[in-house]
Amino acid sequence: MTMSRQGVQPTEVIDRAAKLRFRWNGKRFSGFEGDTIASALAAEGEHIFSRSMKYHRPRGILTADYWDPNLMVQVGDDPNVRAGHRLVRNGMDVRSQNAWPSLNRDLKAANGLLGRFLTAGFYYKTFMRPQWLWPTYERVLATFAPGGKIDIDTPHGYHDKRYTHPDVVVAGAGPAGIEAALAASTAGARVLLVSHEHAVGGHLRYSSDAGDQGALAELRASLDASDVEVLTDSTVTGRYEDNWLGIVQRNHPIAVERLIKARAKVLVAAPGLIERPYVFEGNDRPGVITSGAARRLINLWGVKPGERAVVFSANADGDAAAADLERVGTEIAAVIDARSGGQISSTAGSSRAVEAVMANGEQIDADLLVMAAGWTAPTSLLNMAGDRPVYDPAAARFFPSDPPSNVLSTGGLAGDADLDGLRQHGAETGRLAAARAAAVRHRLQARTARALPVEGDEPAWAVDERVPLGRDPHPELFRADTHGMVDMSEDISSKDLVAAAHEGYDSVELAKRYTTATMGPSQGKLETVNTVAAIAEARGETISQVGTTVWRPPYAPLTLGALAGRSFEPVRVSSIHPWHEANNVTLIQAGQWLRPDHYGDPQAEVRNVRENVGLIDVTPLGKLDLRGPDVPKLLSLLYVNKWMKLGIGRVRYGMMCAEDGVVLDDGVTGRLGEDHYMMSTTSSGAGGVWEWVENWLQTERPDWQVHVTPVTTAYASINVAGPKSRELMRRVCEGVDLDAEAFPYMTVREATVAGVSGCFMWRIGFTGELSFELHVPAGHGCHVWEALMDAGSDLGVGPFGLEGQRIMRLEKGHFIVGQDTDGLTLGPSTGMGSLIKLDKDDFAGKPELAWAADRPLPLVVAIQPDDPDVVPEEAAQILRGDTNEILGRITSSRFSPTLNRSICLGQVEPHLAAGGTKLTVLLESGERISATVIDHHAHFDPAGERLRG
Amino acid sequence: MLLVPCPNCGPRNSTDLRYGGESHARPDPNTASPQEWRAYLYLRDNPAGWLRENWYCASGCRRWFSIERNTATNEFRDPPLPGDKRGGAA
Amino acid sequence: MAETASPGSSTPTGPAFESPVVRSSPSSNVGDLALTDASATTKWLVRASNDGPTADLLGARFGTSQVAAGGALVLGSRPGEWIILGAPAEVAATVADLDAHDGRDFVSALDWTHSRAMFRVTGAEATRMLEKVCGIDWSDHMTPDGAVVSASVALVTCDLARNDVNHDDTAGTPSYLIFCDRSFGQYLFDALVDAGDEFGLSVLASGVS
Repeated sequence: MTMSRQGVQPTEVIDRAAKLRFRWNGKRFSGFEGDTIASALAAEGEHIFSRSMKYHRPRGILTADYWDPNLMVQVGDDPNVRAGHRLVRNGMDVRSQNAWPSLNRDLKAANGLLGRFLTAGFYYKTFMRPQWLWPTYERVLATFAPGGKIDIDTPHGYHDKRYTHPDVVVAGAGPAGIEAALAASTAGARVLLVSHEHAVGGHLRYSSDAGDQGALAELRASLDASDVEVLTDSTVTGRYEDNWLGIVQRNHPIAVERLIKARAKVLVAAPGLIERPYVFEGNDRPGVITSGAARRLINLWGVKPGERAVVFSANADGDAAAADLERVGTEIAAVIDARSGGQISSTAGSSRAVEAVMANGEQIDADLLVMAAGWTAPTSLLNMAGDRPVYDPAAARFFPSDPPSNVLSTGGLAGDADLDGLRQHGAETGRLAAARAAAVRHRLQARTARALPVEGDEPAWAVDERVPLGRDPHPELFRADTHGMVDMSEDISSKDLVAAAHEGYDSVELAKRYTTATMGPSQGKLETVNTVAAIAEARGETISQVGTTVWRPPYAPLTLGALAGRSFEPVRVSSIHPWHEANNVTLIQAGQWLRPDHYGDPQAEVRNVRENVGLIDVTPLGKLDLRGPDVPKLLSLLYVNKWMKLGIGRVRYGMMCAEDGVVLDDGVTGRLGEDHYMMSTTSSGAGGVWEWVENWLQTERPDWQVHVTPVTTAYASINVAGPKSRELMRRVCEGVDLDAEAFPYMTVREATVAGVSGCFMWRIGFTGELSFELHVPAGHGCHVWEALMDAGSDLGVGPFGLEGQRIMRLEKGHFIVGQDTDGLTLGPSTGMGSLIKLDKDDFAGKPELAWAADRPLPLVVAIQPDDPDVVPEEAAQILRGDTNEILGRITSSRFSPTLNRSICLGQVEPHLAAGGTKLTVLLESGERISATVIDHHAHFDPAGERLRG
Repeated sequence: MLLVPCPNCGPRNSTDLRYGGESHARPDPNTASPQEWRAYLYLRDNPAGWLRENWYCASGCRRWFSIERNTATNEFRDPPLPGDKRGGAA
Repeated sequence: MAETASPGSSTPTGPAFESPVVRSSPSSNVGDLALTDASATTKWLVRASNDGPTADLLGARFGTSQVAAGGALVLGSRPGEWIILGAPAEVAATVADLDAHDGRDFVSALDWTHSRAMFRVTGAEATRMLEKVCGIDWSDHMTPDGAVVSASVALVTCDLARNDVNHDDTAGTPSYLIFCDRSFGQYLFDALVDAGDEFGLSVLASGVS
């Protein structure tokens, strides 16, 4: 077979004035603007493009389009590029895949000699036993696996994402699809027309018929003049619930790929038909191509596919291919007409090229065999909408059966007609789509709060009055009297399928998974029907009886980059963040928050707080503004303790449990005014508690008057902690008496701080030191922080981060919800069971907590390793002696710079909770150490004297 | 992606909402037996068919509502009906 | 309604307002699509019953907006919830009127200036830009001028309002106000700048509408 570039064709899509240079396996090649990689290579005489997956047989062009299983190549760092579709660019570095050391001399082709051993289920049968050898098998097999090379250093590139809400999406831009788009647009619909190919026109593009070309020009002109949004080189990859569509756009000017998420009111599926290869001995030999491939090569790119051809034709497309071949000077050795019983049975020649064709029992010399054996209806989008297409033996293909009424089909998928008939059906489909879309649009608009008021009543759901397309009779051609390749991507022959059926894998879904037929890159587009036919034949049944596999998304492959899109990873920072960044901070990510972990030396930060005064940015601490007369009732319902008598200016600690009694969150709530409270939550619990509160108010107590507003970041929150904190606060605060008697522990005051009014502060402290937790309107956070730093320079003020705070809270034995508790920790297990007031009428989790009150429960206790230098890992197990019986675990551990020893919190079985109990802790190293439970949660200052000062 | 008919906002993508699961009334916490309370906490009918369930319009109106959905077809019984857990439509 | 760079009303004489957007370089050339950081604009949040006297006073039902008598813009952001924004005096005038219900309504109002970042995107391509970061249907019949909606923008829940810039002699230019939690301000600003890049987005100096 020798392919070569011919003279200018009237239909060609190449610009012969624009020459492009690229490399193929290191050698220089050239093509024209508009060439695909495959057409450019073919024009220069290349005819081996890949090696087959299992047997490494040389493979050439089969379909010369996106679906061609033999044209998978590597372009630069981009593997598995479809050379039948990807356009050539200047400077492209194209390489073959799945060949070693080279395409022309592939050592792996030895597999071909062993071919008879690689039968169906070969991998399952061979590599099952012994099981311990699997890692070795895996390593060897991996080097033989198909596919390109991944470069992990490849930059992500700009992968874009877009949402759109068109009335009608038309998937497929052949004549019927274009007419559907135009008619829908004319009827007032907003239409998105998606063309899988580089240009609209479908099969008209590669037809040399003057009438077809005239129609194509007319359709394109109409499209240009319309409001239809046209996407080319784009594919509707999936249809999901309520016509949510994934569309990948491969030719966006600024993005590698753009994923479009479209909510279509009506989807029109117009993908056309995919030509089905024929199965016979030697059908994968280079030189065997489909009629579409012949016509595309000739008419789109001016490439002559061979010198002497046999055309096996069962339809008009085969006849047209013969005419096109003749026109460019290919000698037609024979046209074998399947409609009058003509039959081909094999090709002969080398592994690299066809030399002869056995047809009707005689051998015909030829370097090209063109097949026009019938069609596969790509019903994928209908399948995804829930339809189960039905096989029609008279037309030898599947047809839609009963898709939902907001999914319509037209064009070859729906039936056959001449061009005018297809266009007519397309236009009727477009009008129907527009009418139904108008009804959906009316309903959406009428129900959407923000939308313009609708006019009139919702239009009735338009009745489908389209004249159905006919169904041309077509011979059922799947396999000749010889066996050949069914799935070229996976190297599955009809013999393999028959063998699988005889082994009992005779359900199509089983046979598919057992043999991997239809599971390769072409994903059934070429081989599904032949697979089903082979199984039907083996079972002695019809295709209808066997049924088919279900096509699932994506319709065409898309890259992980397209799915990932631009990565949105929201990050939250406090208003003091710029100061941290300018001051040697080490940040830590806590949920979405970026927080200061420390500023160099967390142990020194702890010492400074214990000796002088430190500042920590605690802005992420959740804050809910609660207003209304029923707030105390709400607090009583959500917290386990009592809230009806909290005085104005007072603050109280509370613990929340879920309805199953498990600790949900904790924090303090202060009363700022008569009907005004501020609730604080844990940083990680802020969002969840807000929804929890809303749920109670909206669904269980809708009559209560409470307004809840999250104000977490309305304030920059600064904890000023340490023995010198009062002195520091005196220097910056106005309008508040900071003396211990006037502003005692667990109270809240409003103040003006560093000239900023509207601040409030409460005297609480996670660190165990005298501390003032200051909440400043966020737009002045940096100003107040800097004012505190300036005012306290002679007091030794310094910042401290999350790590320092974690050490200090552990020194004080304060538990952290989610760290020292888990999804099974009931309220009393925290050691704060006395907070739970079962005499309240109702609160969240009350029944479970009542039942738990008499039960021995695991308890949170403070633990000190007997060796003060050993810090057990968090989550280290507490075991019984030398056994592996688990009695608890360490939940928090740090080295305390204050006590100069290791300290822990842990959960232990109830009988181990008493002070002085000896525990055995298993370290990650395997070593067991002894540790002792201490009397109080607090390792440091158990009486809390520093805190209350 | 499912379109969920929020009674306040209108139809919204299901990712805008938080699924609240099957609707169930909260037993009286002072009289409920352990069996009744745990049925409220853990037991769900999980039918293949019509189910009354709760949704929270998290990205939208931030209102809880309850609505019937056919779990086999994803059809909503429209418009949302008032129910024991429908909140905040006011 | 005029957005303003003056500090929130809680601190009329206090130190300067710190915007959540600290990394921003105003463009030298102003094109057809512009992004403004208007976080300093005074904003209040009002809660009341959805169909009581306060709702009547404020006028804007859920999903819509309107300009109050005093000049502030009132957004019906949720059922029974409104955002009031504008110059401090404009907002103050509307907030002062909230007491007029004589106890017939349960009303609360709080200064939300420091709680929310606020951006304005203006230009013919603003809709195409928002389509890159938000799944809402922005077409004129679904989101007309004056519409208010909350939705996820680049994975951050935001309040959005269409507030076209109208000139006497020309058709309105699409313009959108976007509000998010202040802590997300810089992230969202950067996401908007990225989304607008292909449309030649220019970044205007803070606070200029």
